[in-house]
Amino acid sequence: MANEILAEQISSEYKYGFVTDIEADNAPKGLNEDIIRFISKKKNEPQWMLEYRLKAFKYWLTLEEPNWAHVSYIKPNFQDIIYYSAPKPKVQLNSLDEVDPELLKTFEKLGISIEEQKRLSGVESRIAVDIVMDSVSVKTTFKETLSEKGIIFCSFGEAVQEHPELVKKYMGSVVPYTDNFYAALNSAVFTDGSFCYIPKGVRCPMELSTYFRINASGTGQFERTLIVADEDAYVSYLEGCTAPMRDENQLHAAVVEIVTHKNAEVKYSTVQNWYPGDKNGKGGIFNFVTKRGVCLEDNSKISWTQVETGSAVTWKYPSVILKGDNSIGEFYSVALTNNHQQADTGTKMIHLGKNTRSTIISKGISAGFSNNSYRGLVRIAKGASNARNFSQCDSLLMGDKCGAHTFPYIEIKDKSAIVEHEATTSKIGEDQLFYCKQRGIDNEKAIGLIVNGYCKEVLNKLPMEFAVEAQKLLSVSLEGSVG
Amino acid sequence: METVTKQNTIKDKLIAEFDYSKNSFFGDLTLRSRAMESFAKQGIPSRKSEEYKYVNLGLILKGEFAFSSQHKISREQLVDTHILKNAIVIAIENGVLNLSNSELTNLPKGLQIIDITVASSNEIFQTHFSKYSDVDADPFVALNTALTNGGVFIHIAKGAIIEIPIHIIHISSVSENTIINPRNLIVVDGNANVTIIESFRNIDSKAKTFNNALTEIVIGENSIVDHYKIQDEKEFGFLLNTTHVNQNTKSVFTTETFTLSGSFVRNNLAIVLAGEHIESNLNGLYLTNENQVVDNHTLVDHRKPNCNSNELYKGIIEDKSSATFNGKIYVRKDAQKTNAFQSNKNILLSDDGTINTKPQLEIYADDVKCSHGTSTGKLDEEKVFYLRARGISEISAKKMLMHAFASEVVDTIKIVELRDFVEEKISKRFE
Repeated sequence: MANEILAEQISSEYKYGFVTDIEADNAPKGLNEDIIRFISKKKNEPQWMLEYRLKAFKYWLTLEEPNWAHVSYIKPNFQDIIYYSAPKPKVQLNSLDEVDPELLKTFEKLGISIEEQKRLSGVESRIAVDIVMDSVSVKTTFKETLSEKGIIFCSFGEAVQEHPELVKKYMGSVVPYTDNFYAALNSAVFTDGSFCYIPKGVRCPMELSTYFRINASGTGQFERTLIVADEDAYVSYLEGCTAPMRDENQLHAAVVEIVTHKNAEVKYSTVQNWYPGDKNGKGGIFNFVTKRGVCLEDNSKISWTQVETGSAVTWKYPSVILKGDNSIGEFYSVALTNNHQQADTGTKMIHLGKNTRSTIISKGISAGFSNNSYRGLVRIAKGASNARNFSQCDSLLMGDKCGAHTFPYIEIKDKSAIVEHEATTSKIGEDQLFYCKQRGIDNEKAIGLIVNGYCKEVLNKLPMEFAVEAQKLLSVSLEGSVG
Repeated sequence: METVTKQNTIKDKLIAEFDYSKNSFFGDLTLRSRAMESFAKQGIPSRKSEEYKYVNLGLILKGEFAFSSQHKISREQLVDTHILKNAIVIAIENGVLNLSNSELTNLPKGLQIIDITVASSNEIFQTHFSKYSDVDADPFVALNTALTNGGVFIHIAKGAIIEIPIHIIHISSVSENTIINPRNLIVVDGNANVTIIESFRNIDSKAKTFNNALTEIVIGENSIVDHYKIQDEKEFGFLLNTTHVNQNTKSVFTTETFTLSGSFVRNNLAIVLAGEHIESNLNGLYLTNENQVVDNHTLVDHRKPNCNSNELYKGIIEDKSSATFNGKIYVRKDAQKTNAFQSNKNILLSDDGTINTKPQLEIYADDVKCSHGTSTGKLDEEKVFYLRARGISEISAKKMLMHAFASEVVDTIKIVELRDFVEEKISKRFE
């Protein structure tokens, strides 16, 4: 029985592991000032941008790679990475017909059919997509529809050219280049990403989405996302990612910054499905990401939802700084690790304003030989009166070779704060399995059912399209985990 | 920068002190030298050290320190610190056992109490001493192992039921800043039963006592051990209290820590569940005020299957004081069918108080039930209202609620006399 299941598990392979044969424009391997100048020049950047990069690079040189996280891996050699890789025929694209057919095929395989969206465009489609392949944004859909409303949704490179004042104002305001090792690295070498600005009083009519894809071998992906919601604005933002199957470990070090002004709301959802490595832990993506939002003014809200199933090593803490009074921060997470995957993920909620509220729901599932840690910080600063936090971190263990850990930090300096944290660790209930089996549901399906039920609180927070994908992903990643 | 240089000074001084008096030490000099080497490597932890993140040891250990005190403690002063009418009293004065102030006549059968300075030849002592406290794991364990100049070795023989509680009084009184390193070893053989109380008190001082106390407890099969700590060190007391417990199959161990006063109290409590069917209970209560810093670190290490552990720590924080709770439940791969529970609850009463809590679970076995919970808040307004609606003044209502909050821990004390003693202390505090 156990063998059978194991065999099945091995056979449930990573679906997105193909490589697209597109000619790419690469920078030479290695990292030095010249490479940064090369990237900056390639992207035709203004002087201030280059200066920012160089400042970040100088600072990065003084830093040491952090090792406090509960993960172990061979540190990447930063001189052995290609920092710039662009799919070659990069010209200004106006319609889909001009897009390289190879590229289109890639995205069809990924399940994001631009064609179909095109057909449905106008009335029905609710998602605008920015696609980032390796280092550059290749296509942004629905730009025109959005610009009618005054919404700016474009690649980061374009934003630097066309809206330098916005980029200058907000870039680095939430995650400064001094923040940490990987944020500094990203600030120095980031190549592209998405930029989104929702003007005053505008409710974005569709979901905005970025799809990240690592394609070229030997490259690292360093993208940067910046989302600004002005007063009374609302946007729901989705992010998805995949990578080919390779024996090497590729580095992904992104930065995401969110700024919300008065009464604004940003909902950021991620389904992270980078290649997790093979069943022996060979290859896979190192996912070292800095994500942070700041509720800059009163009554604003930032909500992070993430479903983490991919990557060999994940190191990610989407955080919210609750600066404005009455602001709200939310973090909903499902992190699933299998085989030799390692995840150290969680959130930080920094309460600075009055009457601020935060909710943390984290569901960890570990199977195989994996280690899954929740690490979170809730800080109530002095004067942040009537702050409220509720955290719940549950872990589910499948098999006796994996580990599930919880490391919450709670620091409270205000007496009116109410902070609660609870965590449990257990395995799938035998009685639940028995109940399902008794009703003719086989083991595999029963586990899928129970796990999906266990994660329901989080999956419910995802937009429709993503929720379906996430549910499938969970079932696939877990196939045959319990005997 | 200044604190850094001072810190180095204290480290250097400790090393110099070791070199100076190494020939007058009792016991195994090789072990001591190894411990000192390890300390020299680790140094005094700064705030960057994850384990000592919330305490500023650099500040506490600033200035000049002596390593022993000639200050005499009178019989009356000592009797004053007695808690129970009927107890086997062991007096450890400024880190050294004082037999004349101890009450060790008519010891029950199976109980052996030996001054640690002359215990080296004892076979049982040799088997267990320094086997449970790893000098490389913590600088203060290393420091204690290297520099200790006193303490007590207690041995409870197989099958002995010691009905009278053993009370170890740690009393200090100094005229200049002093670091003391008392060291105790308690070995309980199989099928035995004993209650041990450790109390910490600083009297009649005008300078700091930094008490780096370490107790190792080994519990044999089927034995039951109750362990209480009453920490009432007052203003000049700085206590770093390490307790390492090793439990064997089917033993039951209960430890309760009451922190009532002291400028700085840090408890490092580690319990290793080295056998099956073990039960461990860890309770704690800390009432902090003024500028007090209380930091409780606990580690419950489940190594074998079918064990249970329960942990409950509660705190009331007033004024500018700060309290930290850092508890870790570690479940190893083999420890299937483990049940481990941990709870930390705090009430923050002042604007300037700080609470840091870090309840951690590190689990490598799948068939387990582990949970932790922590909550921090103010006194429940609705409860206060309920009482006030019944004609009780706001102040008494609050007192009543705080008392009720604390009683969850206090009620678990099994010795009535001791419970009354703690309750009285708490009542006085809330007056």
